[in-house]
Amino acid sequence: MTHFFPNALCFGDEFPASGSPCFVQVDGDGLTITFESSEGGDGAREAVAFSALTVSAGGLDHDHLVVKWVNAQGERTLYLKNPDVIRAFRQAAPDHLNAPLEQAAERVRQVRHRHRVMWAAVGGSVMAVVLCLWFGADLLVKLAVSRIPVEWEQKLGESAYRDFLTRQEVMKDGPAVTALGEMTQRLTEQIPNNPYKFEVTVVKSDVVNAFALPGGYVVVFTGLMKKAESGEEVAGVLSHELNHVLQRHGLERIVKNLGLLTVVAIVLGDQQGLVGIMKQLGVELLTLKFGREQETEADLTGLQLLQRAKIDPSGMIRFFERLSEKDEGRMEWLSTHPMSTARADRLKTELAALPKKSPEPFTFDWKHVQASLGSQPVAAP
Amino acid sequence: MKSEILYPGAFPMVRVDLAAGEQIKAESGAMVACSPTIDIESKMEGGFLGALSRKFLTGEKFFFQTLRASRGPGEVLLAPTVPGEIVILELDGVNEYMVQKDGFLAGADAIVIESKMQSLSRGLLGGEGFFILKISGKGTLVLNSFGAIHKIELKPDQEYVVDNSHLVAWSATTSYNIEKATSGWVASFTSGEGFVCRFRGPGLVYIQSRNPGSFGAWIRQFIPVSE
Repeated sequence: MTHFFPNALCFGDEFPASGSPCFVQVDGDGLTITFESSEGGDGAREAVAFSALTVSAGGLDHDHLVVKWVNAQGERTLYLKNPDVIRAFRQAAPDHLNAPLEQAAERVRQVRHRHRVMWAAVGGSVMAVVLCLWFGADLLVKLAVSRIPVEWEQKLGESAYRDFLTRQEVMKDGPAVTALGEMTQRLTEQIPNNPYKFEVTVVKSDVVNAFALPGGYVVVFTGLMKKAESGEEVAGVLSHELNHVLQRHGLERIVKNLGLLTVVAIVLGDQQGLVGIMKQLGVELLTLKFGREQETEADLTGLQLLQRAKIDPSGMIRFFERLSEKDEGRMEWLSTHPMSTARADRLKTELAALPKKSPEPFTFDWKHVQASLGSQPVAAP
Repeated sequence: MKSEILYPGAFPMVRVDLAAGEQIKAESGAMVACSPTIDIESKMEGGFLGALSRKFLTGEKFFFQTLRASRGPGEVLLAPTVPGEIVILELDGVNEYMVQKDGFLAGADAIVIESKMQSLSRGLLGGEGFFILKISGKGTLVLNSFGAIHKIELKPDQEYVVDNSHLVAWSATTSYNIEKATSGWVASFTSGEGFVCRFRGPGLVYIQSRNPGSFGAWIRQFIPVSE
């Protein structure tokens, strides 16, 4: 008794619904199907000529070759999956079966292709959504920011500003305050439809820094003013900071830090919760760092503003360059505004492209302003 | 290996008698009790990547249990987590079954379990998820269901319609399409059926008499909501 190794399933009226395991052999003029005997070895045998067969593709993934014929007991259906048997069948099959075999093979290819295309489409769409979110995030942030009213922004900035000033020594009057006031006025006069009431404060500190909070609150440290060689240099930094406010860069950073869900909430109309969410997440306004693109934008718009206000814009570039050359003192402005020659070069190119305007000098004497700073006791950092 | 279903009905258990040296694989956590001659090991069926894909793709367990009668013959009692019938199939080496991811309880060592990706429409709408188990090889296969198991026998080209999420296992010689339960979209959903699977023979389709998802939705309303 030989051991029985089935390679196909045969279906028919007298077989169980799950099919009867059988052994299919391909020979010159047809198929020989051997069924298992009740003892476990070879049992009943049936030979079918190729001329009696019809073929198609079937099964769950259309990966079975389905062979049908009719004998005395009724219709028989054979499900072949074994690749060797299918290959032998295709080689031995006469001409009249070639067309249906080719059709069946084509059907399998089509189904596989369709599956691949479908999955590729799904994968592609998922990728597209991810890419859209990745690259469209900035647009979404801008859209969200544009929906936040200026009053909210001011409230936000003001609380952080007042809080900061209580911990600092503020310079209330003197030549430095007057000089900065003049710069601020000349610059803000040139801002069309300015929604902000800019508030610029001089803080006594050796730190070489200046920063702007959302809503138009600007702080300039005396350290920066001592470092500057002319009023135009300070005006350059001031113009840069004012433009961070005008472009709402702070707000953009906050919204970015708070995440996409907040952005969606803001776009959909819930601006009220922003302050609450910020407090909850502990987003610190003073530690917000602007992105490289925002810095470039503030540089360029800052330059244009200086030009409109007839303040010599080369002062801005000179100050940037000098700060980047030497790493002396506590130049915090640099840590948040990393200088590179590329950045300075860009500003120079931009400046060359602007129409030449004859600058109008400030009314104050910068040496006098600096002398007044030097005579003041310097606050410990 | 000889297996017998004890307490047939809602809370059945399977007793498997193992000869010395014989082993079976079972879903992790399926063992209820066993003879002291049986060793329990965990095994990543199909290797690490196979196990990983099964875990993440089908939601099946990462490890399978291997129960081996290493110190002489013994018996093992196995039971599924959910109430429902158990069915024992004999695989003959040619028959292959697709099994929805929670349907596998245990099987002879010689059976092969693979994860298989379904087509998009079947994965989305069939109620079985994108990945199912494909079980082939030669030996005993034990499946479990939620509710009673009903066997549908399909002759060649005979069709039968099954509501999605009621499938337990079906032979690879069958094929099925997903379609709306009724001809209209609205009626499809208001009838409570949504999508159905139209099976086409030949082959066997095992269905379960309860739908786990619907049962979950029903029981959720009785679970107290904590503050």
